[in-house]
Amino acid sequence: MSAFPRAIDGEPRRPGVLRLGRRSFDVHQRLVMAIVNRTPDSFFDRGATWDEDAAMERVHTVMKEGADIIDIGGVPAAPGAEVDVVEEIRRTVPFVAAVRDAYPDVVISVDTWRHEVAREVCAVGADLLNDSWGGCDDRLAEVAAEFDAALLCAHAGGLPPRTRPFRVAYEDVMADVLDRTLTLARRAVAAGVDPSRIIIDPAHDFGKNTWHSLEITRRLDEMVATNWPVLVSLSNKDFVGETLDVPIDERLPGTLATTAVCAWLGARVFRAHHVRQTRQALDMVSAIRQEKMPARTVRGLA
Amino acid sequence: MIVSTALCPSPPLLVRDLSGADPAAVELRQACATAVAMLIATAPDMIAVVGSADRTQTWPADAELDISAYGGPPRPRVGRPAPLAVGLGALLLDEGGYTGPRLLQSVGHDEPLSACVELAAEVSASAARVGLLVMADGTARRTLKAPGYLDERAVPFDAEIQRAVSTGDLTALHGLDQTLARELMVTGWSALQVLAGTFCDREPDTKVLYADASFGVGYLVAVVMAAKEDPTEPGR
Repeated sequence: MSAFPRAIDGEPRRPGVLRLGRRSFDVHQRLVMAIVNRTPDSFFDRGATWDEDAAMERVHTVMKEGADIIDIGGVPAAPGAEVDVVEEIRRTVPFVAAVRDAYPDVVISVDTWRHEVAREVCAVGADLLNDSWGGCDDRLAEVAAEFDAALLCAHAGGLPPRTRPFRVAYEDVMADVLDRTLTLARRAVAAGVDPSRIIIDPAHDFGKNTWHSLEITRRLDEMVATNWPVLVSLSNKDFVGETLDVPIDERLPGTLATTAVCAWLGARVFRAHHVRQTRQALDMVSAIRQEKMPARTVRGLA
Repeated sequence: MIVSTALCPSPPLLVRDLSGADPAAVELRQACATAVAMLIATAPDMIAVVGSADRTQTWPADAELDISAYGGPPRPRVGRPAPLAVGLGALLLDEGGYTGPRLLQSVGHDEPLSACVELAAEVSASAARVGLLVMADGTARRTLKAPGYLDERAVPFDAEIQRAVSTGDLTALHGLDQTLARELMVTGWSALQVLAGTFCDREPDTKVLYADASFGVGYLVAVVMAAKEDPTEPGR
C-alpha cells in the first residue's frame, strides 16, 4: 500500500502481482478476458448471447478455450436504445450469479460505469468492475473498495458513456491517457481500493480516432512503465477495420497482430471475442519472451 | 579393469527442459537413469565417461554440458564446457548422485579402430575398478520422419549393435563399418569401438533397458557387467 503515494510523486511503482477475486497473477502472466455480452445489439456478436442459455453456453466454451476472466456487459458501447439502471441490473445480475455458481474460481468482470449496477453485481460475486467509460461515476471506486473488488481505470478522453468521438484532438494522446488513467488510479486508492486490484486501460477507440489508437498501441510501453497492470481491449475494433479496410468479420488477423504487439510491450490483460486464438497469440509471445515453455520441442534435438 | 559399463544415447533432449512443457522421451530418460544407477551401484573406484566428439581429448573432471547451444530456458553460463556426449554423461552421473572420481573422455569421430581400441585399454588401466559410461547413438535414418530421412540400411545396422550388446558379444561391434556408419548418421561409432574393447575375453552379463527409435534415431540403453558385478545379486 505504501508504494502508491510515492508513485504519484513521480517515483516508479514496482511491477507487482495483480489480484482479481481469489486469484493472483504475476507480471509475466498474460490473461485473456472473454467478452460475454448480455445485449441484443453489441457490435460484434449482434445479440448472439442475448439469450441467457446462449450466454452460459459461451461461458462454457471460453472457459474451455483458456479464458482467465469472464467480462459480462449489459450495455453496448455504441449509442442506441436507452438501457437504464434497472434494465442493466436485470441483464447482468442474475447472469453474474449463474456464472459464479457454475465456476466458483473464475474471475468475473462486469462492464459498467454505474455504481448502482456495480453494487448489485459485486453482491453476487463479481470481482472486477470494468469501467470502460473512464470514471464518469465517482462512486464506482467506493463500491470497489467496499467489496474489495478490482477496478479498471480507462481513458475515454472525457466522453460521456455511449458517445462517439467527434473531431477529438490531443496535443499528446499518450500524455492524456497517462494523466487520466493515473488520476483515476490515484482516486481509486484514495477511495480505499486495494492497489494490487487496479488496472489501467488506454481504451482503444474510446474518445480516439484510428490514428490515436495506433499511437497508443505503438507507445504502450509508456503505460507499462508506470507499473500499473495494463489491459487492452482491441478485439475487432474500428481502428483495425479502418487500418486494414476490412468489415467486422474480417478483423481477427489485425486484432491478433495488435494483441501480439501489446503483449510484447508489456500489456497483461487482453479483452477478446476470439478466446482460443488470442490465447495462442499470447502463448506464442510468452514463449518468445522466455516466459512460458513451448508445449513440446523435439525437432532437431533427438 | 572395467567392472561395469552402461550404454546410453546422447540426444540433447535427454535434458528435461529442452523438450518444453511436454516431458517427451520420459521412458528414455528413465532408462538412462536406471542404467547409470546400476553402474554406480557396482561401486567402481572411478567412472569414465566416453563419448564421441570432434576430437579425442580428456576433459577436466568438472567439465559440464553446455546445453545453451541447443536452446532451452535461460541458464547460467558454463565455466568448463564439455562436448555433447561427454557432457550428457557427466550430467547423468550428477543426476545419479555420483560424486566419486570421474574421467571425462571424448573420442574423435574419425579415429581409426586401432586408436579406439588403444583408448579402451587406457581407460581400463586408469583404476583398479573402472566403471564405464559410454554415450553413443545408433543411426539417425530409421524412419521417413527421422532427421536423416529413411535409409533401409539403418534398421539392420542398429539391430546389429543391439545384438552385440545384448549378447555380450562386444567385439562384434568392431565389425560395424565406419563409412556406412557415417552415411547412416551414426554419431557414436567411435565410442562404440571403445565399448567393443572393454571386456575382451570375459563373458559379461548384459541387460537391455531400452531399444527404440521413436524420433527416428536409434537409442539403445543397456548395462554390461562382469558376471560377479551384477548389483542386483545378493551381497552387493
